[in-house]
Amino acid sequence: MTARRRGLLRFGLAMGAGLVLLAVVGPALAPFDPTAPVAPQLAEPSPPGAPFWLGTDDLGRDVLSRLLHGARISLMVGLVAMLVTMVIGTALGLAAGYFGGVVDVILMRFTDVMLAFPGLLLAVALVAVLRPSVWTIFVVIGLVSWTGVARVVRGETLSLRERDFVLAARAMGAGHGRILLRHVLPNVAPTLVVIAALSTSGTILLDAGLSFLGIGVPPPTPTWGRMIQEASTYYRVAPWLMAFPGLAVLYAVLAFNLIAYGLTDEAKGTP
Amino acid sequence: MTVRKDRAVTARVAALVLLGALAAGCMRDAPLDWPARDPGSQRGGVLRLAAPDDVPTLDPALSYDSRSWTYQLHLFETLVTYDDASRIVPLLAERWTVSDDLRHYRFELQPGVVFSDGSPVTAADAAGSIERVIDPKTRSQGAEYYRGIRGAAAYADGSAPHVAGLQALDATTLVIELDEPDPLFLDKMALLFASVLPIEYARRLGDDFTDQPIGSGPFVLREWRRGERLVLARNPRYRRTDRPFLDGIVEYAGVNSELAWLKFLSDEIDLSGIPTADFPSVIRNPDATGTLVRGPTLVTNYIGLNCQMPPLDDRRVRQALNYAVDKDDIVELLNHRAVPAKGIVPPDMPGYTAEVAGYPHDPAKARALLQEAGQGAGFTTELWTQSSDLDLKLGQKIQHDLADVGVTMAIKQVAWSVFLEAIRQPKTTPLFDLAWSADFADPSNFLDVLLHSSRFDANNHSFYANPRFDGLVERARTMRASAERTRLFVDAERIVVDDAPMLFLYHPISYVMTQKRVHGYAIHPLLPSRYMDVWLDPEPGQGASAGS
Repeated sequence: MTARRRGLLRFGLAMGAGLVLLAVVGPALAPFDPTAPVAPQLAEPSPPGAPFWLGTDDLGRDVLSRLLHGARISLMVGLVAMLVTMVIGTALGLAAGYFGGVVDVILMRFTDVMLAFPGLLLAVALVAVLRPSVWTIFVVIGLVSWTGVARVVRGETLSLRERDFVLAARAMGAGHGRILLRHVLPNVAPTLVVIAALSTSGTILLDAGLSFLGIGVPPPTPTWGRMIQEASTYYRVAPWLMAFPGLAVLYAVLAFNLIAYGLTDEAKGTP
Repeated sequence: MTVRKDRAVTARVAALVLLGALAAGCMRDAPLDWPARDPGSQRGGVLRLAAPDDVPTLDPALSYDSRSWTYQLHLFETLVTYDDASRIVPLLAERWTVSDDLRHYRFELQPGVVFSDGSPVTAADAAGSIERVIDPKTRSQGAEYYRGIRGAAAYADGSAPHVAGLQALDATTLVIELDEPDPLFLDKMALLFASVLPIEYARRLGDDFTDQPIGSGPFVLREWRRGERLVLARNPRYRRTDRPFLDGIVEYAGVNSELAWLKFLSDEIDLSGIPTADFPSVIRNPDATGTLVRGPTLVTNYIGLNCQMPPLDDRRVRQALNYAVDKDDIVELLNHRAVPAKGIVPPDMPGYTAEVAGYPHDPAKARALLQEAGQGAGFTTELWTQSSDLDLKLGQKIQHDLADVGVTMAIKQVAWSVFLEAIRQPKTTPLFDLAWSADFADPSNFLDVLLHSSRFDANNHSFYANPRFDGLVERARTMRASAERTRLFVDAERIVVDDAPMLFLYHPISYVMTQKRVHGYAIHPLLPSRYMDVWLDPEPGQGASAGS
């Protein structure tokens, strides 16, 4: 691994750690109730300044408090939806790659069909059908973003299943489950870690996108995407309302992208 | 009429699609040529407008929305209309008489009036136009207003060739006979449903009438490119020579309220609403931007409470919710472009003063009432709302106020069509965010239409039923305007406020900004936007142009 990549990885990890720290202790640090009107006036956002360090929105709520509470939601959505994505994608990818034949054809054609749908539109449709809640968002984001994972895992598995150590295990009488979990999966793991980091930033963006369309995690829960959406009519008179949550999304996505980038060599370097 | 608000998600998706279309290279506006204005003359010029959606229809029988009505008001005329004080005044009818039993109406049309195609306006056209609205094949939502005409039912079910109670005695005399006394029938004749169309022509065109409308109004349709622009031009055959001042009106579609404001600031349009975000700074010095026009509305915004769904079936719970919500805060959120509601009938209703106390913000009282109703621990419920930015903003405010008294309210945003369908279903929408705009200036248009127990299928989405209230409203139905009738409505409204089948929120006030050169624009509480009296600053006289 090059020193530059290692540096980026460290930087990304530091940013990620900062984000996690914020998500854990942030809400406790929030100076105000994120859902309560605390500004002296409604309908006219206050600019940044004491005691509202990042200003207030049109409902008189403190932007900093909402941002801090939103960090937990955004990170949680990012990580949980990523896990859903990884579990579905890995399971289907492993099965398709390992068993091949009809199983492969069916699973991969299904993946192609899913890939053909624009992810955001599919998510919008699913949210419209299901009852909006945090859990719905986890599941919906997971359901629309597993396809890429499945393809990569299938590719890796295809080459792994012909390797000597797999053949050896099979010769020693190991079952499919054991081979998949003990021999194939650990060797796919480095790739998975990279995809996981990338997928986290992807899901954070998708969550922000859904919130922006007004169908993300429902209010009163503050989310960064919804903050941007609610600020969209105020961008000319109160640009800070949009800027701060926008920067927060940028920070989170950048953190996970740097981690993924830094890990790429690490993954390739593993035999 | 049920008021629909801006739809945010659709607008955003539409904006994306529009961007795509722009990128693909869209058609430029074909230039429109208008006659040159005489220097120094009040007459002439073109008013430029913009709106988010296209006009739904120009067929007066088929519309029930203010957008369509705005343009129909300029293309067509009714027999009677409203003056600025919302009193009935003549339009196509020169005079009329009403029998003492309120069942016989006789209209004398102005002689010599012609449609824009030159054919004369006759009493037969007036009778036929109403018959067309009653005809079930027309599928007009206005049909209900004219069912009281004798023989309307027989005509509607096909057993009679014409409506017996609609008689054109000669070219200018129309006689209408009703089954029951109706003190509001003149108001119904002022609705745009009752616009007088050249009936032979309208029947011949059928569904195509909306594209090639002909009426006797001050303007004619010059061009309508759906989703792009609607252009009206002066009707050369209009009976008044002093109106309209304008040569034409152009409305560009697909311009949301934000964009309309930016276009207004760059002088691309002449009239615009003021976005919430900009309002506080604009209102401090409106003259710096243009001419501010303000006017009350006969509109009530409320949160309906479904009286059949526990725990909202308990009056105390409904009262508690009313005490819990701070209406003054909501009015502040609306930039004070509203007055807090105390009851259901707007305070600007002519000839009516509500004598109700309403519900001041009192969370302690709300908690006490909930305790009394056995809901001291609070409960969970759901607010159904349209997906507009404003609805969501108010929803979050109400959500916060209710949380304060222990009520957890989720916000369910749905599309307008889904919303309309859902609120009609029994026991589906516990709380729903809605507004009602008066069709005519009478308290019954709120009390009877929205809350009588016979109207579960129509507009009583609260499923509110109180026999005592029903009795008062029914008695008023056939009474002539009088102090006694007003008294009945005041008593009825007191019962409603006490029963609280809704959270009474606010009555909006309209604000419109016009360019400084625009004059004569006024907001009417009942009628849609009117451009008949609008005129533009004259072009500079010859003295000024000679110098250049």
